[in-house]
Amino acid sequence: MIAEILVLGTVMGGVLALVASGFSLVFGVSRILNFAHGTYFALGAYFSLVFYLLFEKLLAFLPKELILLISAFLAILLTGFTGVLIYLATVKPVRNYEVMVILVTLAVALLIKELLLTFFSDVSISIPPFVTGCIVIFGIPVTYSRIIALVIAALSIATLDVFINKTKLGRETVATAQDVEAAMLVGIDVERVFITVMFISSALAGVAGILYAQIYAVNPMTSLRVLIYAFAIVILGGLGSVRGSILAAFIIGYMQVAVSTLFTSEWAEIVAMLTIIAILVIRPQGIMGVE
Amino acid sequence: MKKALIFILPFLILPLFLRSDVLYMLGLSFIFVVYCVSWDIVAGYTGQTNLGHTVFIGIGAYTAALLSIKTNVPIIASIILGGIVSTAFGLAIGCVCLRLKEYYLALVTAILPLIFIQLANIYSNVFGGYEGLSIPFSKALPGGVIGNYYISLLFCILCLAFIYAFINSNIGLKLRAIRDDEELAEAVGIDVVKYKLLAFCVSAFFAGMAGALAVHYKLTAGVDFFGIPLMLEIILGVIAGGLGTFYGGIAGGFAIYVAKNWVFMQISSIVNSISPFRISDELILYAVLIVLIVRFPRGLFYELEELLNNKVIKERLK
Repeated sequence: MIAEILVLGTVMGGVLALVASGFSLVFGVSRILNFAHGTYFALGAYFSLVFYLLFEKLLAFLPKELILLISAFLAILLTGFTGVLIYLATVKPVRNYEVMVILVTLAVALLIKELLLTFFSDVSISIPPFVTGCIVIFGIPVTYSRIIALVIAALSIATLDVFINKTKLGRETVATAQDVEAAMLVGIDVERVFITVMFISSALAGVAGILYAQIYAVNPMTSLRVLIYAFAIVILGGLGSVRGSILAAFIIGYMQVAVSTLFTSEWAEIVAMLTIIAILVIRPQGIMGVE
Repeated sequence: MKKALIFILPFLILPLFLRSDVLYMLGLSFIFVVYCVSWDIVAGYTGQTNLGHTVFIGIGAYTAALLSIKTNVPIIASIILGGIVSTAFGLAIGCVCLRLKEYYLALVTAILPLIFIQLANIYSNVFGGYEGLSIPFSKALPGGVIGNYYISLLFCILCLAFIYAFINSNIGLKLRAIRDDEELAEAVGIDVVKYKLLAFCVSAFFAGMAGALAVHYKLTAGVDFFGIPLMLEIILGVIAGGLGTFYGGIAGGFAIYVAKNWVFMQISSIVNSISPFRISDELILYAVLIVLIVRFPRGLFYELEELLNNKVIKERLK
């Protein structure tokens, strides 16, 4: 039982870390509370499936794994661009009105949920995994898709870390997160930073969605359910702290798997939500929050 | 007072001219106006971003539904009890949440309704799950569609009168002081936490009663009372009319409800008859909402006011 929670929880934590780090990054840099973040998660999975079904016919001479990889790659790019497009069209004009940002992103999330319902109806979809098969760890059969998910999640987050700490654009991002006006004064194109961060954040959520859809399943409602976990994680880790979010993602991941195994998956969401409230009462700034 | 009567009068004689399905919808729109204005007490007058107003509505609704199914209390008692239970939740939630500021408050209150939706699903033997609960016909409001219409109109007027008195009282003034500058309000001796809690409770009381009345009106109670879409409609109504303007909330709420449940329905049914994809009225609502927010981020009321002011200034300059 404990081994199962540890093994499956680590994978879950990795996927959630992808979602939450992007959410946190956007908030840290631009103070935008993006309620549409869960939508990118669902969109990643849906785009990937559509591309796969398309290429399966068009590029039938290629091996299936390659088609899956190509479609996943295109889906991630497309999700990233969708995120930027949504930002430019809806969030940017109202960025100075905090409440309006929340409302407009929430409306976008619900709009896309309705659109997904219109085109794909209310059924869950899964994507075929990159590699099939499984190995046994601590007496638990673990599918390769889960291991790959964890590896990809870790690689993505490591890349994000390198990007933020080692590249020029990354350092501009940190500067913007610390003080937007000061960043502008020293000649940083803040708008470019915002767009970059938006792209990274939605692409990361798209990656998470694709990985999740290979292990479990995604339906139009997922976009809102994922948002709850993202909230729980960023509040636990502290709003705006990417490292805090990654740490918190694993805590919530273990907790989610533990509660789902011991009780039912419905309780996992309630526990996640109660964690949020408990954290806010005890330590409102989270584990490593920013002001 | 006279002005209010002029506005109420057309609604009193409307049942003479309208079809019963439109009348039914209008009756529900009055309840929706109470949702909007009661939300405005916290959001517009006290300046707290409460995204969980539907918790109060839902609690009131489920209280009334369970009371009607399990016990034999009269309708009026079940409505008032709905308000009281909802106030109790408002007090409890307020104690926890109101210490939080801005983003954190918005996040937590946005999540609260989802907890209740999940609980209603888990304990579906009590709360009916996704299907919801049906109320016995004996607990319907008296007088058929027309009776329902007048009862909900009366309820709406009474609630609005109380809320109007509340926000224009000394307490209302203190709430606005808190909204404008919390630290300054504290400095001049206003107990900020106490008054925020009070605003939360009053808001919860009216929302709870409205939710309870809606249950007796529709004879069902489901998780959609807690739903995010309902919350969004309420916010849209108040924002379209203008936060913290009272009349704006009434007009905006009424317009949004009628637009969504009548105009958008018609549009979606016309579109669906020609297009292969099903376009729901909600889809149109969200699209309109996005356009409205992006185009008028400060609310239609303020934009209109500014437009009028500019016109006046220009005329004077001539």
